[in-house]
Amino acid sequence: MDMKRDYYEDVQLFSSGVVVFWFAALILCLALFPLFVKNYYVYMANYMAINIIVAVGLNLLVGYTGQISLGHAGFFAIGAYGTVVFMAKAHLPFLLALPAGGLVAALFGFLLGIPALRLEGPYLSIATLGFGLTITQVIGRVELFGGRQGLHTPPLTIGPWHLDSDRDFYYLLMVITVILVLAARNLIKTKVGRAFIAIRDADIAAETMGVNLTYYKTLAFAVSAFYAGIAGGLYAFVLRFIEPEMFGLMMSILFLGMVVVGGLGSIFGGIAGACLLSWLDLELRNILSIPYLGQWLELLSKDYFSITGVSNIQFIVYGLIMVLIMLFEPLGIYGIWIRTKIYWRTWPF
Amino acid sequence: MKMKRILVGLAALVLVFGMAFAAGAEQGVTDTEIHIGQWGPQTGPAAPWGSVARGTDAYFKMINAQGGIHGRKLIHHMFDDGYNPAKTKAGVKELQEGIGMFAWVSGVGTAPGLSVMDYLMERKIPWVGPSAGSLHWIEPPQKYLFAVYPLYYIEAKGLCRYAVEKLGKKRIAIAYQNDDYGKNGLKGAVEALEKMGLKLVAQIPVEKSDTDMKPHVMKLKKAKADAVLLWVTPTHAIRIVGTSKAMKFAPQWMSTSTCSDFPFMYKISKGLWEGVIAATFGELPDSDNPLLQKYKKDAYGKYAAKGERWGLFYYAGILFAEPLVEGIKRCGKNLTRERLVKEMEGIKNFKGIGGKISYGPLDLAEPYACRQGQKEVFLVKCLKGGKYEKLTGWMEIK
Amino acid sequence: MLEFIQTITSGIAVGSSYALMGLAMVLVYKTSEVVNFAQGEMALVVSFFTYMVLENYGFPFYVAFPSALVFAAFLGFFLEFAVLRRAKEPNILGMIIITIGLEMILMGFVSWKFGADPKTMPFPMSPYDSVEIGGVFMSSLEVLTFVVALSVMAILFLFLKYSKLGVAMKATQQNNMAARLMGIRTNRILMVTWGISSVVGGLAGLLISPTTMQPYMMWDPMLKGFAGAVMGGMTSLPGSVFGAYLIGIIENLFGLYVSIEFKSVVAFTIIVLVLCVRPSGLFARHYVKKV
Repeated sequence: MDMKRDYYEDVQLFSSGVVVFWFAALILCLALFPLFVKNYYVYMANYMAINIIVAVGLNLLVGYTGQISLGHAGFFAIGAYGTVVFMAKAHLPFLLALPAGGLVAALFGFLLGIPALRLEGPYLSIATLGFGLTITQVIGRVELFGGRQGLHTPPLTIGPWHLDSDRDFYYLLMVITVILVLAARNLIKTKVGRAFIAIRDADIAAETMGVNLTYYKTLAFAVSAFYAGIAGGLYAFVLRFIEPEMFGLMMSILFLGMVVVGGLGSIFGGIAGACLLSWLDLELRNILSIPYLGQWLELLSKDYFSITGVSNIQFIVYGLIMVLIMLFEPLGIYGIWIRTKIYWRTWPF
Repeated sequence: MKMKRILVGLAALVLVFGMAFAAGAEQGVTDTEIHIGQWGPQTGPAAPWGSVARGTDAYFKMINAQGGIHGRKLIHHMFDDGYNPAKTKAGVKELQEGIGMFAWVSGVGTAPGLSVMDYLMERKIPWVGPSAGSLHWIEPPQKYLFAVYPLYYIEAKGLCRYAVEKLGKKRIAIAYQNDDYGKNGLKGAVEALEKMGLKLVAQIPVEKSDTDMKPHVMKLKKAKADAVLLWVTPTHAIRIVGTSKAMKFAPQWMSTSTCSDFPFMYKISKGLWEGVIAATFGELPDSDNPLLQKYKKDAYGKYAAKGERWGLFYYAGILFAEPLVEGIKRCGKNLTRERLVKEMEGIKNFKGIGGKISYGPLDLAEPYACRQGQKEVFLVKCLKGGKYEKLTGWMEIK
Repeated sequence: MLEFIQTITSGIAVGSSYALMGLAMVLVYKTSEVVNFAQGEMALVVSFFTYMVLENYGFPFYVAFPSALVFAAFLGFFLEFAVLRRAKEPNILGMIIITIGLEMILMGFVSWKFGADPKTMPFPMSPYDSVEIGGVFMSSLEVLTFVVALSVMAILFLFLKYSKLGVAMKATQQNNMAARLMGIRTNRILMVTWGISSVVGGLAGLLISPTTMQPYMMWDPMLKGFAGAVMGGMTSLPGSVFGAYLIGIIENLFGLYVSIEFKSVVAFTIIVLVLCVRPSGLFARHYVKKV
């Protein structure tokens, strides 16, 4: 950790050649990944990538600007429906429809940011929660969006390529995810990111120093909504079918959980939290097939609990992991990573 | 301290790899096994419907205990999707690409089903008996998708016709859940009443998360309905009936098959359910139909978990799987997917514990005839103590 | 006109259960600035515990209900002691996530132990017998809930204002360090607060459960109670009750006269509008932070 000698060094994306090398290695691994594993893992990776995009975006709002949002599933839904409707009804190509969906979500983010200027803490959480619920209700009502019956996503073609398998979709997702994560990291390192952090730490002081609170707070909402919207659009293609009920309060809470468990205020934390929680989400249903633990749980269920409700152990494990990570490391997974790094760096002292 | 960390790391690795599925092989059929998959909401707000999957499980175990089908045992893979389409898709992909399922049976939920329908149909994997009476399965009809559950739309028509023709009701209203299930019922009711020259006096949407039914009951009361169709979950239905009793509003309540498990409904509504008329698609839980009794003894009696209730949802799991089992039986030793589809198309007037089930060769102009198996329902009325009174015989409704 | 009065009455009736949940959440917030998302599930556990005592062990009501409230108090003590206190230097969001995690664990336990079928609570008062006053109906259970909500609010308000424990609770929230210096055992105060709020939540759960019992029954009351508390002011007990009743009435009025589908939406929109005008809720004082 050398001292930075000028502004350019502080702002640049990769701080040294070594970082660039490892980053390129990571990209190579990601690119080769689907060739070596079963398709199911590629599907899981797609799901994780979408959650990564949302988590990174939400982290910009929650971790760096200090606001709370319990309604991010609403932006997610706007992005999903926006993209599908633009493609199906307005016949826009995918490469236009996706950013368009994201921009619509960003617009709503901006609109939500305006009342959020005066609110904080639980008050802001209720406002955003209400927004999330409202969006799903309104979407469900409009017949153009398929109403409550949901919409099927049209097949995906970009130029000459026809994307319909998980693997094709994986590559598209990886490109978009890498671009968005790098963009977020870039954002943090520049003036905008510093303004966000100033707002989080001492917003009145920031205003007196010339940070325009209105502009930056609404910008934070808009940018994180844009990320959620893009992720929503991509989600529509991973699932091939969307309906308003899927975007409920549980989804918003899961997004917030990913950000907080991963680590507030760090891009890496957002990625780690998203990976962990979405992997758990998809895999915990197999908890009964873990070799010894599963059988022990089944026996326990037969004697003391009801065997019919045994799958609910998923919730217990999920909640337990969230609680334990937060108890032992308030900074989340990123905090664990930093502590490990410091431990090894100062070893053997 | 370090040892502890290593142990924790090892435990984490075991967890990670323990949960991954073993590498699969064939596409679901060997000389001794047939792999059938099913998803179900074992957790989450739709968890009462989890008993469908458990019912099919017990049924398959019963068949295996009797020697299987032509020497092959049915291996039932069921997983919990919590009514979340993303998880349904994940589970279907994992099972299909891992072990490889021969076919899929039942599966609760329209949204979870729709999210995997294209995936299964593209890979030409047969799917029999989706556990939802939605029009999506047969419009348009698909070669590999065989519906069993009679359409909600049909039940609504049957109930409306009975209310108007036999009971002489003129002001019919409907309280419907605001999703595919409810909307199908609404559509059926509107069409049936139109044919008789009437209109619905009130259409009240109910959200799944609503707990307080007073605004809904007030609207029904305001419309002075004398018969109300209940197209909601059992919990909501009981709340509506109860709140109406508290508000001294007593129309003729009519409900769908979801709420037709009278002993159960009577018990949890503390007797309020008396007098409700319901449509149902299968034999009644306490009927003396020999086949039902056999299932109760051999499947439920031997393989059901402690605390499992012998209710409609449980043996619905058996009902939806019967056509698939019949189709597999007819294939004999030579079991392939194409052969299964052909044999299933030849099923005519097959009667298990439901109504008559018939299919036909794929005909895009006649979706109802070729891919909707059960086309008949019958109506029952709830008596004191949760007992049944059969109001009509099996009615086939177009 | 009658319909209008009936709607208002129904709104008040349903608002009472939201009010009890809101009171529980405000109590915890007043003392430790933590929004307790697990409040609904704590009430759920208490209700199912009562169900178990009544059904499986066959005790009569007057044994079961007080024991349920005692259980609720101990549950609150236990959760605070075992979980929330262990958090090292928590920030607000971290505590919220811990409560959400607790909520999942409790929900998982209840669903695991009792299965998913809806059950019925053998309550002495049927939820569907009604009392009629001049053409307006209110079920007897709702009258009971209303009475309980108002009395709990009155008791808590007086308790916080005049008793030593209440003043100690307020001191803990305003300045933790100073309170400890003055000899108040803040840890114990927090534990007691959680216990009391758990009891209040447990009452809400017991009064909601006679209709039907299923693991997801407390989500809606908790959210509406929280929303009502926010609208009325998270640091004001009468405010939260007022907010809860207001939500109930608005929902019912909108549901009858305009559209049932959007009634929750309208409730939240009104809350946002109120918050725009008064950022800390209707009845609380808005503290502007020092720089």
